[in-house]
Amino acid sequence: MKRRGRGIGCMWYPIGFTVDANPSAATVKVNEDGTATVLTGTVETGQGALTVLGQIAAEALGIATDDVHVVSGDTDVTPMDTGAIASRTTYVTGNAIYLAAEAAKAILFEAAAPMLGVKPSQLEAKDRRIQVKNFPQRAVTIGEVAFRSQVVLGQPAIGSATWNPPTVAMDPETGQGKPFATYVYATQIAEVDVDDETGEVEVLRICAAHDCGTAINPMLVEGQVEGGISMGVGMALQEEMLFDANGRIVNPSLTNYIMPTSLDMPEIYVDIVQGFDPTGPFGAKGVGEPTAVPTAAAILNAIHDAVGVRITALPATAEKVLAAIKAKKGAPKQIPR
Amino acid sequence: MDDKTEVLEREQLDIEILRDVNLRLPAVAPREAFPAVPLTVDARLQTRAVGQRATRPDCRMHGLGQTKYIDDIKLPGMLYARIKRAGISSARIKRIDTSGAEAMPGVMAVVIGKEIPVNSFGPTFQDQPVLAADRVFHAGDGVAAVAAVTEQIANEALEKIIVEYEPLPAVFDPVEAMRDDAPKVHAPNSNIYATKVVRKGDVEKGFAESDHIFEGRFSTQMIEHVSLEPHAAIADWDATGRLTIYATIGRITLARADMARTLKLPMSRIRLIGTTVGGNFGGKNEISQEPALALLSKKTGRPVKGVFTRSEEFTSSTTRHPIIMDYKSGVTKEGRIVARQIRLVLDGGAYCSWSATTLGKACILSPGPYKIDNVLTEAFVVYTNKTMTGAMRGFGAPQVCFAYESHMDDIAKGLGKDQLEIRLLNAFDEGSSSPTGQVLHSVVVKETLNKAAARFGWESQS
Repeated sequence: MKRRGRGIGCMWYPIGFTVDANPSAATVKVNEDGTATVLTGTVETGQGALTVLGQIAAEALGIATDDVHVVSGDTDVTPMDTGAIASRTTYVTGNAIYLAAEAAKAILFEAAAPMLGVKPSQLEAKDRRIQVKNFPQRAVTIGEVAFRSQVVLGQPAIGSATWNPPTVAMDPETGQGKPFATYVYATQIAEVDVDDETGEVEVLRICAAHDCGTAINPMLVEGQVEGGISMGVGMALQEEMLFDANGRIVNPSLTNYIMPTSLDMPEIYVDIVQGFDPTGPFGAKGVGEPTAVPTAAAILNAIHDAVGVRITALPATAEKVLAAIKAKKGAPKQIPR
Repeated sequence: MDDKTEVLEREQLDIEILRDVNLRLPAVAPREAFPAVPLTVDARLQTRAVGQRATRPDCRMHGLGQTKYIDDIKLPGMLYARIKRAGISSARIKRIDTSGAEAMPGVMAVVIGKEIPVNSFGPTFQDQPVLAADRVFHAGDGVAAVAAVTEQIANEALEKIIVEYEPLPAVFDPVEAMRDDAPKVHAPNSNIYATKVVRKGDVEKGFAESDHIFEGRFSTQMIEHVSLEPHAAIADWDATGRLTIYATIGRITLARADMARTLKLPMSRIRLIGTTVGGNFGGKNEISQEPALALLSKKTGRPVKGVFTRSEEFTSSTTRHPIIMDYKSGVTKEGRIVARQIRLVLDGGAYCSWSATTLGKACILSPGPYKIDNVLTEAFVVYTNKTMTGAMRGFGAPQVCFAYESHMDDIAKGLGKDQLEIRLLNAFDEGSSSPTGQVLHSVVVKETLNKAAARFGWESQS
């Protein structure tokens, strides 16, 4: 008989890593037509980081995502970056790009101020224009300013910057300190059906509420959450590298290393919790890794809720769940002849 | 006459069609294959860029199968490399005979560990050889690399390489490896290669003040990232003495430093190009076969490509740390956590890789997002003669989350409390102090609990 259960997984996760410094550098170049090129040493690893980084540069310059081209991943061309790890790209690389874009914008403001007859501090960049604050009708296009700055004034609008998250080293004896600049939080609640005759667990739905500070691109946040949950489902129920007595892996292939397919995926409901971190670019933190953190916990708690057995060693394979159910019921019943 | 008119008309028509085509689209599929108006194109054109559901500029290439991964790149004269794996977990290498492989037609070069200028790398401890030279530390270690004109010939050449091993004692269980009498993986060093402690308040005092004590032991398994694209790279050591590496790697800055170190080259002579990564999840944060490919390229004067098989992804790349986690919590009868003591033993595999960061994150995060005045966490990472464990999405956090949240439900059940309420009672607030004494800002744990509960339709059962 299938028994239904529900379980909560709640977590916190730091942005960036401890042990060493964690810097990023970036360059933002505003072209003569008001579009821009960003140079970053990070690498797109499929999560959509370059899109988000482009959005950060665009927002800072008052232009559209489509106006920004991001060049990445070439040590001959791009400035150093600690890399696409530790959920740090939006927060750390994003801050470097934001600062580089601000530096480029300051050059544009210097050029635009005499054009509009105001001080640079009275200007803002918005809707592809540089305009006087509170007087948006007094404006020139960014393209016009960028062209003038480079071709007439000889001051191309190029900004470079670096950023390293502020941390305090941990005391080796007590571990007290500030190992990370900021943290994100999340809760996932899973609903499962457990077949108490076979031990098979089916994850029906997962409601995921994630904090990432400002969601620079909500669609990509949702993508991360869905991907993270698929990894969490595998960790909870299926995936395990097995070794023989001589330390050799016995299942080094996808034939017998079982992982979730689309058919194993539950219904996923994503909520992005409104948050704002003043230390992040436009309030953003990160979301990549945390999405995979609470899933297994939520599923295992749901199994406990459904059939009253606590699986303490992952993964909760059908065999393991069935054995636990039988152990709970006492000696296995004989099938009557 | 009529025929000519028709041809002319068609030519004009083609020109008209070309004019209509948005030249920013790759000129591959017929125009009808694309939606007339892309659904979310507007988001990319908004000048409030932040918060927009902007599509990715690379998604069209992915969707059309036009993205070029390493395996799609073919340089003129390129050779294919394969690596011979030890297949034995702990041994001394007595002899490597590569002459049989070198004599094969189509085999252009062989490289072994002794030829690598500095045969060690690693982000924290440089304890991992590019190719095992004297000592094998786990079954997936490479012992020789072959470059041949085809992958098939390279594969056959691996069979012709003779390696004589002297088996050595091995240890596979991390708890066993912690004992003084256990075989030392990297003798004479202790198998415990890093420890971390977080101490806040006084746990013994906290337990004494508690109404109930709960204890539990939890453990997790070794997991592989299983990126769709395996580890892959092309090395091109050109005639100017400059080395270009195309690699599916998420950290090119560190990778260039590792290449410079292992090959004893100035960094200015190395160009590292991070190609489109077909899945990373932490598995592609450091170099693997690249120095061996570079030397094969130097020996042959030709570009050399190496792509791991799916099997090598399991045996010879990093994996997720199995952790044995002991939890003990003292709580009041209302369900408030007064003290929590935790001991973590991480199976660190044969090499350190990203274990130091994993150990740190697991240790710091292990008490959970809860206000606890008295915390003691001790964490150890231990060498075993198994595949190395390293960075993987979450760096130890999914493991400890499984433990602290299972433990939390056990506490709730023991006290007859609702699982949501006990979490809301203990969760961090803005300005709460973390286990390391850090004052936390922009804290929204309770908001995530309430939001997920509302979406789920959670009803209290206490």
